[in-house]
Amino acid sequence: MAEYLGAEVNIASNDPEHLEFLQAAGRGEFVLQRCASCHRLRYPIGNACPLCTALEWSWAPVSGRGTIYSYEVVTHPIHPSFRGVVPYVIALVELDEQRGVPTDYDGLRVLGMLVDAEGNPEPEERAGINQRVEVAFADLGDGLALPRFRLSAEPNEHPVWRLGEGTLSADRV
Amino acid sequence: MLEFPGSRLRDRYAIAGIGATEFSRDSGRTTRALGVEAVRAAMVDSGLGAGDIDGMLSYHGNDSTASPVIAGDLGIRLNFYMDCSGGGSSIEALIGLAMGAIEVGMCRTVAIFRAMNGYTGTRIGGTGRQAPVFTGTSLDQGIHGMHSAAQSFAPSFMRHMYEYGTTSEQVAHVKVAHSKHASNNPRALYPKRVTVEDVVNSRWITKPLHLLDCCLETDNGVAIIVTSAEHARDLRQVPAYIAGVAGRVNKDQPGGYHWSRGPISRVAGHYAAPIVFGQAGLGPEDIDVTGSYDAFTFTTMLQLEAYGFCNEGEGGDYVSSGIIELGGARPNNTSGGHLCEGYTHGIGHIVENVRQLRHQADDYCPGWERGEHTYDYSEGGCRQAKDVEVTMNMGWASPPTGSALIMHK
Repeated sequence: MAEYLGAEVNIASNDPEHLEFLQAAGRGEFVLQRCASCHRLRYPIGNACPLCTALEWSWAPVSGRGTIYSYEVVTHPIHPSFRGVVPYVIALVELDEQRGVPTDYDGLRVLGMLVDAEGNPEPEERAGINQRVEVAFADLGDGLALPRFRLSAEPNEHPVWRLGEGTLSADRV
Repeated sequence: MLEFPGSRLRDRYAIAGIGATEFSRDSGRTTRALGVEAVRAAMVDSGLGAGDIDGMLSYHGNDSTASPVIAGDLGIRLNFYMDCSGGGSSIEALIGLAMGAIEVGMCRTVAIFRAMNGYTGTRIGGTGRQAPVFTGTSLDQGIHGMHSAAQSFAPSFMRHMYEYGTTSEQVAHVKVAHSKHASNNPRALYPKRVTVEDVVNSRWITKPLHLLDCCLETDNGVAIIVTSAEHARDLRQVPAYIAGVAGRVNKDQPGGYHWSRGPISRVAGHYAAPIVFGQAGLGPEDIDVTGSYDAFTFTTMLQLEAYGFCNEGEGGDYVSSGIIELGGARPNNTSGGHLCEGYTHGIGHIVENVRQLRHQADDYCPGWERGEHTYDYSEGGCRQAKDVEVTMNMGWASPPTGSALIMHK
C-alpha cells in the first residue's frame, strides 16, 4: 500500500491520471499534461485544456525548476498526518516553463512542501518569495512518489522576500 | 464581453423579514431546531404566517436540515424549494435565485435559511478527526499539507504583503474595528474589544494568519424573507429594497488552482463589481455601510479593494484609516461579523444590513426598536450608523468565488 506521512494514498480505479502522475514521479520524472491541440501545459490534472478546451493531451516532462511565488508556514495542523511535521512551509512554486502564459500574471504554479536533503521540512528562515527551488521526490511505496521542493543552488533572479520584511518594489509584476 | 441586463429588476424585490437564533458554541440542538426557530423568527418579524410563505431556499455542507423538513415543522406548504451545497458565497446568490423564482411565477414569497452547528457539529476548518487517506483531488492539495480555509487562502494573502507592503498590523485593524462593533451588540459571542497588539501577539495558525485574524466557529440559524417590493410594502417592516445582486462570480480556474492565473491577490469581487454596481446604477462612493465576508481579516481587506472602495494594493491603508469603524465614513460589519459576532456563512451580514437600513440595530440604546439611537459608539453603547440609505454585502467562498448584494431603504 502506498502511503504518505502514515496515511494511505488511495488512487481510485477510474483515476488513471493521478496514478500515472505519481508513477512518473516514482521514476524520478516530473510530468504535466500537455494539450494536444494548443500544446500548452497545465496543472493540476484536468479533463480539458483551460486555454483552448481540447480534450486530447499527453504527459510531458518538465524540469522541476522554479521560483517560490508565494508561501505559508503552517503551525497549526488540521490533518492528523501533519501533526508531527509542523511547522512546515507550503511553497507555491512557479515553474520555469510557460511563465507569463496566457498573460503576464499567469504561470504554472504548483504546491509542495519545502524540504531539506533528508526530506524533513526546511525551517521557514530558508523559505521566501523569489527563492529558487527544484523538485524533490518523496517515495510513497508501490512505485509512486510525491513531488515536493528543495532549495536550489542557482542564483535567485530577485532578492528573496520573507514575511515581515516589507515590500520590494523593484520586481513587482 | 457579456452584456448584463442591468437594472430591469432594480427595486422590484425586497427583504421583508429577518430572524436568528442566538450564537453559541453549545447549541445542544439539531440544525432542524435551529432552522425552524430562525425561519419562524423571520416570519414573525415580517408579519407573515405559514400560509404566506410558499418558497424556501437553503445552503449547506451536508450539515443542515432540508427545506421540506423545516417547512413541514412550521406547517408551510411549498410551491418551490432548493437546498444547495455551498458556504460563504451562497446567500447573495440565493437572494437572486429567489427573485428569479418569484419573477417567473413559481412562488410568491421565499424564506432563505442557513442552520449549522458550526462548532459542535461540522467544523469548517476540520476537526482533525477525518480519515487519514489521500485520494482524488486531495492528491493535488491536501497531500501537500493544505486542508483548511486558512491554509488554502494564505498564499494569496502572503503575495499581497509582498507586492504591496501590506503589514500584519494594518490588517489587524479589521479585527479591531469588528470587535468595537461587537462590543455594542448584545448577541455577539465575542464582544470584547481588542487592540492591534492583541491580534499580532496572538499565536500563529498559518503564517501570515494569527489566531485573531481568523473568524469564530459557532452554532446558529439565521433566516431572511424575500418577496416582491409591492408585497413587502404591505407588511410589518420597512422593506430593504434590492438594487443589485451578483452570485458566485468566479475568477479563472476556480477549482483549487486559481493561483495559476493572477494577480493571485485580486479576488472574484473584481468581476462581481461591474455586475452588482451596474444593476444598481451606483458606485462604491454611494454605499453607506458595507458587510464584507470576514472569515479572515485579510478577506475583508481584499474584497474592499476588489469592489473599488480603495485601489488594489491600498487595502492595508484603507482598513487601518478608521473608515471601516462606526463613526468612520463607511463602517464595515457593524454587528461584529464572523470575527466577533458569530459564524453563519454570510447570511448574518445580510440581516445586519437590513437592521441598519431600518435604523433598528439592536444595540444598547434604550430606544433602538423605535429607531432611536445615541450614536455614541463607546463600549456598551450604540452600533447604528447615521443616516443609512444604501448598504452593500460582499460574500466570499474563496479568493476566486464571490457574491454581492446592494440594498437601500
